[in-house]
Amino acid sequence: MDGIGWAASAMVAARTRLEIATENLANVSTDAFRRVEARSFLTARGVAIERTSRGGGALHHTGRDLDFAIVGDGSFKVRDAGGHISETRAGAFVRESDGTLRDLRGRAVLGLHGSLRVPAGASIDAREFALPPGSRVQNGFLEGPAVDAISEMVDVLAAERSFESAQKAVAAIDAIRGKSAEAARVK
Amino acid sequence: MDRALFAAASGMAAQQRNLDTIADNLANAGVIGFKGSVASFAQLVLPGGGGQGTVALGSHVLFGQGKLARTAGPFDLAIDGPGFFEVVDAHGRRAYTRDGQFSRAADGTLRNALDYRLAGVRIPAGALSASVDENGTVRAVFPAGSRAIGRIALAQFPSPDHLRAIDGAIFAATPAAGKVETAGAGSPDGPKIRFGMLEESNVTIVDAMMQILTAQRAYEANAKGVQAADEMLRIANNLQRG
Repeated sequence: MDGIGWAASAMVAARTRLEIATENLANVSTDAFRRVEARSFLTARGVAIERTSRGGGALHHTGRDLDFAIVGDGSFKVRDAGGHISETRAGAFVRESDGTLRDLRGRAVLGLHGSLRVPAGASIDAREFALPPGSRVQNGFLEGPAVDAISEMVDVLAAERSFESAQKAVAAIDAIRGKSAEAARVK
Repeated sequence: MDRALFAAASGMAAQQRNLDTIADNLANAGVIGFKGSVASFAQLVLPGGGGQGTVALGSHVLFGQGKLARTAGPFDLAIDGPGFFEVVDAHGRRAYTRDGQFSRAADGTLRNALDYRLAGVRIPAGALSASVDENGTVRAVFPAGSRAIGRIALAQFPSPDHLRAIDGAIFAATPAAGKVETAGAGSPDGPKIRFGMLEESNVTIVDAMMQILTAQRAYEANAKGVQAADEMLRIANNLQRG
């Protein structure tokens, strides 16, 4: 690969890093969001970005009876109107008037035997969530986002500068090639 | 950069919503019986995977108990536990509130500052004073002695999260909230009515201020993201040979 190719791959990598940082920043108030970490490394085809994610946010106390946080691994299973089942760790639920439990996106929360129904005044048996052994739910708590706005801001600025440098490199290589082409024409 | 621009812009919009909710909580922090709300967000995920910023899921009311404070009002009531007072406006429409600041009107009804009357209670003309006990029984004192003249019932909803806030601490029933059930207070583990007390709002000013600061900073950070994406588009455009 030539110089322009290398520099251009650095520009693309910087753009990806910006996308990841802004995505994390946008979700700085999203419950149970886990930040995506961008790791850049060099390959034979230029700079590549690897996305990794780890660790949940801290639990915070809400005192609400239908808020649940998972301590340990596992997730709540929810089913949307189209029957599609997905997993979430955002455990802020709402009880419908018929007792059906839904998450804030309107998806039905699933228990051991299909969608969970909780009569008014009754409490929820934590075993219904079928969490892996060693995990448990904490009632009255929610898992906060695992994002730090300051470090994402730093990533945004770093990505911008690295993009700028790579662009300068592309422009410099381009200028040198222009000069050589000109010299060739003069001869 | 388009994705970055969109994600950062969605983050700004989310923090705007967040600020609106917190500001409303703060503005009503001194309102008796007011319940704070919290705005929720979710990551917007594209069908093929990969995020596309954030989306607001709306806000829900936190019905947690506010602090009870002893007061000097003539007919102050507070609910210790879940439930609402059922009140009726001038047009006969029913509404639900935990604001128990009532006073005795000329016609014997108990009315709050917004002229809603407490359902089910009317104090007879000859009564000198009245009081309410834990289970909601209203007793009026007459020159000849005191006697029970009615009972204040508490309203409960299967799904209080679906009540609609109409004015500060007053809520209206909705079909989604389910059928209202009124029941007397005072069972051993049920709600109790406290006479001569009021329930303060469940918003803590210090908490709300902290939330405002955090939301403001988050808004600024997302605005920086928009700027950076814009700047990078400009730099990319400079690649063209002039």
